[in-house]
Order: sequence, then C-alpha cells, then structure tokens
Amino acid sequence: MTVSTNRNMRAGAPSQEEIRRQNLGALLRFVHERGQISRAELTSELGLNRSTIGALTADLTEAGLVTEEAPRETGRAGRPSLVVRAMSESIYAYAVSVEVDQIRVARIGLGGVLLDQRSIPRPRGSIAGTIDPITTFIKQMAGEGRCVGAGIAVCGMVRREDGMVHLSPYLGGAVDEPIADSLRERLPELLPQVAVANVADLCALAEHTRGVAAGCDNFIYMYGDVGVGAGIVAGGHRVTGHGGYGGEVGHMVVNPVGRPCGCGSKGCWETEIGEHTLLKLAQSTDIGAQAVLAVVDRASRGDHIAQAAVRQVGDWLGFGVANLVNIFNPELVIFGGTLRDVYLASAAQVRSKLNSIALAATREHVRLRTPALGSDGALIGAAELAFQQLLNDPLA
Amino acid sequence: MSWKDPLMQAPFLELRGINKSFGAVQVLRDVAMSVRAGEVTALVGDNGAGKSTLVKCVGGIHPMDSGEMFINGSEVHVHSPREAAQLGIEIVYQDLALCDNLDIVQNMFLGRERTSGWVLNEPEMEQLARKTLDSLAVRTVSTVRQPVSSLSGGQRQTVAIAKAVLWNSKLVILDEPTAALGVAQTAQVLELVRALADNGLAVVLISHNMNDVFAVSDRIAALYLGQMVAQVKTTDVTHAQVVELITSGKSEGQQA
Repeated sequence: MTVSTNRNMRAGAPSQEEIRRQNLGALLRFVHERGQISRAELTSELGLNRSTIGALTADLTEAGLVTEEAPRETGRAGRPSLVVRAMSESIYAYAVSVEVDQIRVARIGLGGVLLDQRSIPRPRGSIAGTIDPITTFIKQMAGEGRCVGAGIAVCGMVRREDGMVHLSPYLGGAVDEPIADSLRERLPELLPQVAVANVADLCALAEHTRGVAAGCDNFIYMYGDVGVGAGIVAGGHRVTGHGGYGGEVGHMVVNPVGRPCGCGSKGCWETEIGEHTLLKLAQSTDIGAQAVLAVVDRASRGDHIAQAAVRQVGDWLGFGVANLVNIFNPELVIFGGTLRDVYLASAAQVRSKLNSIALAATREHVRLRTPALGSDGALIGAAELAFQQLLNDPLA
Repeated sequence: MSWKDPLMQAPFLELRGINKSFGAVQVLRDVAMSVRAGEVTALVGDNGAGKSTLVKCVGGIHPMDSGEMFINGSEVHVHSPREAAQLGIEIVYQDLALCDNLDIVQNMFLGRERTSGWVLNEPEMEQLARKTLDSLAVRTVSTVRQPVSSLSGGQRQTVAIAKAVLWNSKLVILDEPTAALGVAQTAQVLELVRALADNGLAVVLISHNMNDVFAVSDRIAALYLGQMVAQVKTTDVTHAQVVELITSGKSEGQQA
C-alpha cells in the first residue's frame, strides 16, 4: 500500500478527474455485468463511500446509462437500498457473428440483454460477401436510443492492430479482409465504432463476464466448428499473442504421421477432432453442425460406426486438452461450438485420456464444463467488445 | 460458484456399515459412502448391485437392517420419505412421478401447496416456481402454467429436478436422469445436474452411461454385488478402470 502510494506521488498522483472516470467505469461495469445491483452491494463491492456511490450513480443516471428504482419486498428489516439497473432498452450495441455456415446479427442492450436477433445462411466465398446481409440486418433492427457501436466475431484469425481478418483455410483461403472498416464505411451514422475479434476469444470473454467462467482467472474456451480454436485467459487476461493470432490450438501438431491439414502441415489437432474428421469416420455424407449432432445422436442410439467415431475423436480431444492443461494449468476448460456435443458424448474418453496423460498436479483441480451461454456466447462476447469503450469512460 | 477444497469440508451425508436384506437375499453388505456438498457423486454398478436399494434406504422408503447415517456430522434416523425431505433429501426417480393432468406449478407444489388463509396462494407459488427454474438457468420451459402432458421428455426431467430443488433441499439424488432422452435433451439435463452442484448442493447421480458419469461427476462410487468396492475421484481414474470396477469389483490400476 505504502509502496504504491509512493510511486504515485513520484509519477504524479492521478487527478481528481481520472479517479472519477475510473470509479464511474467500475460502477457501470458492475451494473453491466449483473444487470441490476443494489446501492448497498455496490458500496461493499467497490469499497467506496455511500455518498460517493450516490453521486456516481446520479451522474450515470443523468447520462441515461442507468436508472434507479425501489426494490421489491426484500423481507428483511430496515430501509431497502435502491436498485441500480442498466438502461438495456436504450443503450445498445450490435453483435455480429460470422460463422462457417451462417451469419447472425443481434442487438444487445447494456447489461447483456438480447433485444433482437436475426440470422441467414452464410453466402459462399470471402468475408466481403457477408457485409451486405449484415448491413441490411443492422438497418432493419435500428431502434430508439443510443448505439455504442458494433462488435464482430469471426471464425478466422484477426490482426490486432487493424482488425484485418485472415480467413481459415477452409473458408476460401488466406484472404485479408478489413471487415470492421468496410462495415463502418457503410453505416457511418449508425455505428460510432466497429471492433472485430476471433470467435473463440469472444466466447471466452462472454463466459468470463457473465457465464460459467465468471470469477475464474485461468481458463480455456475451446471452440469447434470446421476448425478448432481456443480463447485462453491466463491471470485474468486474454492471451492473444503478438499479432493477435494466438490461440490457434487446432494447428498444434498431435500426430506427426497423421493426415495433411488445410494449413499445409500434417497431423494438426484439427485433423483428428475437427468436424470433417468426425463426419468422415462416422461415414456421414452431410456437413455442418447439424450433421455432427446427428452423428452423436446415432452413437447414443447404439450405431457402432458412429460410436467408434465419437470415441476416437474423444480420445484425441482428451490428448490435446491434457497438453493444454499441462501448459496453462487452467481451472476450467469449456467446450463450445460443436465441441460441446462431442465432449458430452465422449466425456469418458476425454477424462480418461486427461487423467492418464496430464500431470497429477495440473489435472487435480481442472473442471471440464460446457458453456453457460450456449450458442449465444459469440454474440454476447461481440457485444462485450463493443461496450468496452463505454465501460472504460462512461461519460465520454 | 467458488471452488472449495473438498478435503477441508466434512461430507454432507455419510453412511457407515449399511446392511439390508430382503428375506434371505442380502442386498447391501456393510456399505459405506460419503457425499459432499458442491459435488456430484456418481453411483455406479451393474444391475442388481444394490444402487436403488441404497438410495431408497437413504430416502426412508426401506428401513435399514443396521448401519449409521450422518448428516453434517450428526447421526440421523430416517423412517419415512417425509422425514428424509425434512432433512433436505429429495429423490428424483426414473419414472419422475409427475401428474400429466396438472401444470408445472401444480406439480411442483403437489401435496405441499402454499395457502393464504383458506385459498391457495397461486401468485406466490407461480413466482417461486419461476424463480427456481431461473436459478437453474432453465431456458426450455416458456410458461410455468403449461400442462405437464405437453412437455417433452427432457422438459419433464427438468421439472422433476426443479421440483426437488424447490424445497431448499441439500441433497438431490437422481436415478438415471438421462435414460430415454434424446441427445440434445441429455446434454441439457447433464448441464442442469452440474449446475445443481455448482450452486452448492450435494448431488448423487445414478447412471449406467460412462459418458454421463465422466461429464458431470466429481467422485465415483462403485457398488459390486452389494458391496462398495471403491469411492474415487473422477480425476484419478480412467473409463476402463471404472468399467472393471463395475463388472469385476476390482481394478488392477486402482487400489480400491
């Protein structure tokens, strides 16, 4: 405590204005994460004076970000504390999820409330072709109130500095697409800012904010579609690497004598646990998430081919997870996308492999879970991304 | 939701030396078992190993011949399902025991209806039912006034589990909750079972499906011909070892 005070004095203590901005942000973040929270809880959570909380809340209320109301009957003695609620209806962001087989666009209010949602199958080809339908949806959904911007989750690698998207090899090759800039140019008056990030990273962000990983600072979110990516949170921060491309665990080589991968390498993890492999092993002719569900369904009904396929994929899934657990020592591994169903159908294999490969110390406390937000994770994460700026400086 | 060290925590339910015979057949021999709050304990065993009998002894349906039962460290004697319920023990049976002609709220409060004066307190019951379903993050049931006959298998299972949770229960025992469910519904029920434990309840899951066991359990208790042959942490065993325990009562890799 003394040390930090001294350092502040040397570097120049933060100004009154900076402290206030910091506190406003922290308060709004709490309200945003909980949806609603009483003033008494805010006082104890933020460790601020009661009158300070009152003043901060008044500022945010005046800006139209939150509202205060009397709580319903609490059944306890004493004057009940006012409940601070996010103005979800009037402060919102657009969340876009560009997936392998579909595009989803949603309007999400402050506090993480899903206000409106639309989807269409994804047109074949590059990301540029997705801009038109996204623009149309956003225009259709435009509502009253204030839009803070848009967040986009893409199934591709995203360069941090400018939001340039490198598509995965399955989706038309390594084309660079500045999707955020294109969208912003189309709708300059509707969207004050557009941010873009990888879908696994955003799912991890969503689960961290208001899902199964809330309060958990070391976890891995595995997102599976055609490929496999991971959103890794270590020490409370997302690990995205130097250029923003980190977390491509699907291209970790697990089988040096394995099948060739779309990336040019051989025996990548994706080639053992990806959608294509499962469907091929199960002799399914369909493709996509529905086909994966169908294979899992066949396996649970006793189809031997499907059962063997699910078991084999489960073994490889456990193999890779065990390696990740050894490296990152997470307390939670979440299986999302199509991996949710694959994991639940092969949990015995995954756990067994993990227990026989991972170190006793790292595997002891690791919990394997499915996402609490289900398939909405990508959209909620994209909205979180769009809300970041507002939460950092609410009155800007 | 926070993770607690299970070693630091006394078990919620502890059984010691349980014996039970039906006539000349001894079904349970000197069974010991512990169940901790915040954890899912999977109870596995072959058909006829005594899983259901053990659960029914805990639930007060069958009297035990001998043995001790402790809840939070103090000895208790359960003589009827009502007494078990008072101790916070609820059992969800395979056949669910829901009434088709009643709606969700009526089912959840069946036999224990809330009243205000002479009449049923419908708004309060409805609100409580809704709150319970919300606390379990149940998104599949749209209205609590839906008749149970219109629900799918997975939704019925959800209602049956919610009914067990409604009564501030501390221990929920689920007998084969995913048998006869489709894939999507099985996944939902498994997530629900996990949510119960993450909310701090002690959960016992009886299942034959190794995937279900490994997907949600923290500990596995294996019964073999009426004897508890092993109680192990799920992080310490493999699928093959558990199957071995179920079918032969011992496992080479695992010292029971």
